[in-house]
Amino acid sequence: MSPNQRRILDVGCGRAKHPGAIGIDRNPATDADILCDWSRSYPFADSQFDEVRLIHVLEEVPDILATLAEVHRVCRAGARVVIVTPHYSDHSSYCSPTHRWHLSSFSLWFFSDKPRQYDYYAPANFRERRVRVTLLRLWRWLGVEFLVNHLRWFRRFWEYYLCFVIRGKYVTFELEAVK
Amino acid sequence: MPRILDVGCGKNKFPGAVGLDRNPATDADLLSDLNRVPYPFRDSSFDEIRAVHVVEHVEDVIRFMEEMHRLLRPSGRLYLVTPHYTDSGSYRDPTHRWHLNSFSFYYFTQPRDYAFYSPARFREHRVEIRLLKLWRWLGLEWLANRSRTFRKFWEHYLCYVVRGKEIHFWLDAIKPDTKGQPA
Repeated sequence: MSPNQRRILDVGCGRAKHPGAIGIDRNPATDADILCDWSRSYPFADSQFDEVRLIHVLEEVPDILATLAEVHRVCRAGARVVIVTPHYSDHSSYCSPTHRWHLSSFSLWFFSDKPRQYDYYAPANFRERRVRVTLLRLWRWLGVEFLVNHLRWFRRFWEYYLCFVIRGKYVTFELEAVK
Repeated sequence: MPRILDVGCGKNKFPGAVGLDRNPATDADLLSDLNRVPYPFRDSSFDEIRAVHVVEHVEDVIRFMEEMHRLLRPSGRLYLVTPHYTDSGSYRDPTHRWHLNSFSFYYFTQPRDYAFYSPARFREHRVEIRLLKLWRWLGLEWLANRSRTFRKFWEHYLCYVVRGKEIHFWLDAIKPDTKGQPA
């Protein structure tokens, strides 16, 4: 790997490892470059990566706060973190018996905007770059997804009042490591 | 003066209560991991225990309720607040392990069907549900709190549309008093 290339870590890469990334997984039948239990700690020194990806991983880890602290540890300052996880109103959130957590589009709020009442809670520090909700196709066609992703207050309203009818699929978070 | 314990008190400890939390940045008087029982108090130490937005975080709800039962004096009151599972707040906090409804403590209060799960018995003094503002204005919250039948109907048929916010439980510990008589 050339020194100028961006170093990308794909945590729980499965069989769809991000091109050019180092994949870690615990299953030898995956594309993993390193086999390890990614649910707890990663076998890398501090501040190694420019990008860390957790695609459908966060809902499975035993402790989300500990995982985000570990992600923060291996990130360089300013590194990009991409997290994709099912929305709590989607059936896929409940399909897998290994899903421990059912999350919303505000679930990583603590770590980014840090509302004041919670700043004693979160050990790691990220800046929220973008949050995008993907809805079921019908609602996308009807333009609801566009509204949810363009108006933060509407996303809030949707989560409080509408999302068990106009159901979500997954949430994509893009964060930046602050260190 | 009543002895009150505020379990998982956070930064809003109840006035006059002893605060227990695991985070040193809180108002806690005692630091302790709530997933490890026993907590550092003798049996029947408290007249009232408040657990406000706590039970949805603990690893083992049954063990937690048994610990509440141990710490309460006979007929002592447990005041429990937790998000309803249809509230987005139930999913917003990535440390919430459990998504509960207004019948979730049946294991401890129903003498019939579920008593075999745990020996800790409570008497259900009151259960109240809070709904989102719009539904409160339309009187549905009043109705759900007035009639248990309607609350059941709401949980079964309506709550994914007419969404809830919080559930408040007041549960009294049933246990023998010091003379060995049931309270």
